Amino acid sequence: MGSVVEGKGLTKHFGEGDARVVAVDHVDIAIEESELVMFMGDSGCGKTTLISLLGCILTPSEGDVWIDGEQIDYANHDLSQLRSEKIGFVFQLFNLIPYLTAIENVMVAMDIAGLRHDEAEKRAAELLTQVGLDQRLHHRPAQLSGGEKQRVSFARALANHPKIIFADEPTANLDSRQGMNLMNLVRELRHEHRTTIAIVTHHEGLKKDADRVIQMKDGQIVSV
Amino acid sequence: MNGMRIQAQQYPKFTGANIWISAEGSGSAFIGFSLLVPEHLPYLDHALPLKPKSASPLVFAQARPVIRGKLGKAIVVGYKSGKLGGPTQFELTEGRLFTASEYEEWAEADIPLREVVVDEKMDLEIGERILIGNKDLKVVGKAKSLMFVLDTPLLFMDLRTAQEVLLKNSLHVNMVIAQTAKGFTPERAAKELEAFDAEFKTIDVRTLEQTLGDIIDTYVDEPMKAVQFLRVMLWLAAGLIVGMITYVTTLEKTQEIGVLKAIGASNFYVAALISKQVILMSVIGVICGLILSYIFAVAAPIFVSIHPIESGIVVLISFVVCCAGGYLAGRKAIAVDPMVAFRGEM
Ligand SMILES: Nc1ncnc2c1ncn2[C@@H]1O[C@H](COP(=O)(O)OP(=O)(O)O)[C@@H](O)[C@H]1O
Ligand SMILES: [Mg+2]
Repeated sequence: MGSVVEGKGLTKHFGEGDARVVAVDHVDIAIEESELVMFMGDSGCGKTTLISLLGCILTPSEGDVWIDGEQIDYANHDLSQLRSEKIGFVFQLFNLIPYLTAIENVMVAMDIAGLRHDEAEKRAAELLTQVGLDQRLHHRPAQLSGGEKQRVSFARALANHPKIIFADEPTANLDSRQGMNLMNLVRELRHEHRTTIAIVTHHEGLKKDADRVIQMKDGQIVSV
Repeated sequence: MNGMRIQAQQYPKFTGANIWISAEGSGSAFIGFSLLVPEHLPYLDHALPLKPKSASPLVFAQARPVIRGKLGKAIVVGYKSGKLGGPTQFELTEGRLFTASEYEEWAEADIPLREVVVDEKMDLEIGERILIGNKDLKVVGKAKSLMFVLDTPLLFMDLRTAQEVLLKNSLHVNMVIAQTAKGFTPERAAKELEAFDAEFKTIDVRTLEQTLGDIIDTYVDEPMKAVQFLRVMLWLAAGLIVGMITYVTTLEKTQEIGVLKAIGASNFYVAALISKQVILMSVIGVICGLILSYIFAVAAPIFVSIHPIESGIVVLISFVVCCAGGYLAGRKAIAVDPMVAFRGEM
């Protein structure tokens, strides 16, 4: 299996009885190395739930996940370590730590992975330069624009050389110009650094760059 | 607390007496009502267990002196100059000792000059007059400060003056203090004197140790029970506040913790992070508390002395309480769902 991430029969439901919601319904999916995969679909169709399952934040109700060819054993696997080492996340609402500077926010991810402080500092500066923020290393989130914050998020997601980055509607809280800029960054990461990216977005402009556009409806994949 | 303890012991220790005699059944002159007729006790001057002629009759009574028109509180100590119970001329910081009444035989007609030696901290001048029970006394000297419990100053005067001023000139005293003879421990001396008195039942004899114990029990430990209770309540309240603060700060951090977990932080990492913050907070809190308590001790309306071991215990307790708060907060943090990273905003 050459897939970076694979899910088989993935199902996730929330609640019980009348309140039971099937957020993801028997989904089979595989994401290959260096792929740029786009997830699209109406709000509430299960996109966030699906990438949380693939990103090992959520435990599926049914089905299995493989990361880098290894099947996840939910009872015994240290999922936090797995996330730290192999997966990067970018969130819709940035979720940078407000009292830390841009570089410190990136370094936190490396600290979690146990990287030495001086090495972390060096690598964090490189990553921020790579996402075009070499002039903003010591700014706090409040001093950054939405687009800049999301660039810091990408740098943080890249911190520990992940196998894949999951980005959940990274442009939803940006204006269109900043959204375009961020999409340029995604293209750049894809073409120049061959990063594997799974992105939930409504950005039509990214469609032509994506290797695959996955359309979801009611917890299922309807077209690829 | 500790300040009261020190003050309770100050005067009895100062006297140098190790045998304290009060009326039978009074339970010591500091506690109950004790009146003795010293004429009944001439044998004390020659009693084998006591140093010859060391027995000193004493009036020791609470009084409400009027000082510059203001009612104050004080303890009147009447003693014979040169005997145990009050300062000698050399122990004064200013002025002179009262004029001693020149009598061998006790007589009600023998009324000495009304002179008093005051505590140096009383802010009185030599030559000034104070009133005790409508009788005015002249300040002739100042003694090194020897406050009794709750900053009560001592007023030293001749035994006869004290009797005249406080006891309607009757020839009673409140206690007799003495020192043991060579070769007698205070315990043995007390026992033998009590044995001698067994058939008359006029006196209680106590050692200095027992007397100090009595004073501390009555003036410090008993009244302090209420304070002790308040203290415990204070600790609970403080603990609760610390707990609440840590709880609220952790709740505030839910989003942050969720994000950290989403990007790979283990439960251990999160718990360590919270513990670090809680410990830092408690160290700062405890240091502030200690500094403040020393500052307030100086400004307190009564003499407060901070006992290093007591402060140590207090520091330990606060630390334990803070750590308990931290532990609860840590558990709360561990339970945070990393999915919050996808929903909320920091
Ligand atoms: N923790 C949860 N508890 C209950 N229902 C949930 C929970 N998370 C998601 N859902 C439900 O699952 C469905 C899919 O949600 P989500 O994956 O967030 O959709 P999308 O990201 O495509 O908008 C929705 O109906 C949502 O209400
Ligand atoms: Mg979503």
